[in-house]
Amino acid sequence: MIFEILAVGLIISAILALFLDEVIYSVAALAGTFFFSSLIYVENGAIFAAIFQFAVGVGTLAILFLSGEMLGDKPTKKTSPKRTGALIGAGAVLSLPAIFLSVSGPTGTISDISFGDALWNVRGLDVILQAVVIFTVALGIAIGLHEKRKGGK
Amino acid sequence: MLAIGIYGLLTNRQLLKVFISVELIATAATLNFVMLASAAGVGLGEAFLILAFSTDTAVSGVILALLVIVSKKYGTSDISKILQMIQNKDNSEVEA
Repeated sequence: MIFEILAVGLIISAILALFLDEVIYSVAALAGTFFFSSLIYVENGAIFAAIFQFAVGVGTLAILFLSGEMLGDKPTKKTSPKRTGALIGAGAVLSLPAIFLSVSGPTGTISDISFGDALWNVRGLDVILQAVVIFTVALGIAIGLHEKRKGGK
Repeated sequence: MLAIGIYGLLTNRQLLKVFISVELIATAATLNFVMLASAAGVGLGEAFLILAFSTDTAVSGVILALLVIVSKKYGTSDISKILQMIQNKDNSEVEA
């Protein structure tokens, strides 16, 4: 059940990342995609894969936030809530094969290490915290650029 | 998710959205590696994930460099507008 919910969230956020007009919202949806894929890795026992995906995803999102604000074109029209709802509905429909045609059997444990051990003893928490700091800095710069752009309208 | 990424790669005109499509394709591929390894009960999927991420990072760097160069030269990241500018420039050179 958890896997199906994560798969639906993953596909909906992937569709929103592609089809939303504002770059900031697209990148936020891509953040959701990386987050859901990390959770799927955790659910399948691949703790290191999840931490690595999270750290790399955060770096990518930081770059995308900055480059989206500095280099992206401003959209000519705002995305209406109806369009956003239609995209979410399309994502839910597209994720039906992931639910009904799922080939996942009993989840095999890849790592011999537990989640708590991975965080505390193998410094996984350090990686996550560093990623959060970098992400916060990049988000702050992107928000500053966004406000500056709005002020110059 | 791979199909969504390929559709976005083929249809989007904004270079940043093309980059997002490439990221989605890479995420789909790495998810595939890890899920297959999980089903088989081996740890090779995580090793492949690290390899795939290094390749993805290199590709992302190249795409971002292209994005910066194109935006600075043409003032936009819309592929159709850039093509129009190039065509207009060629036409004006031919007329001259």
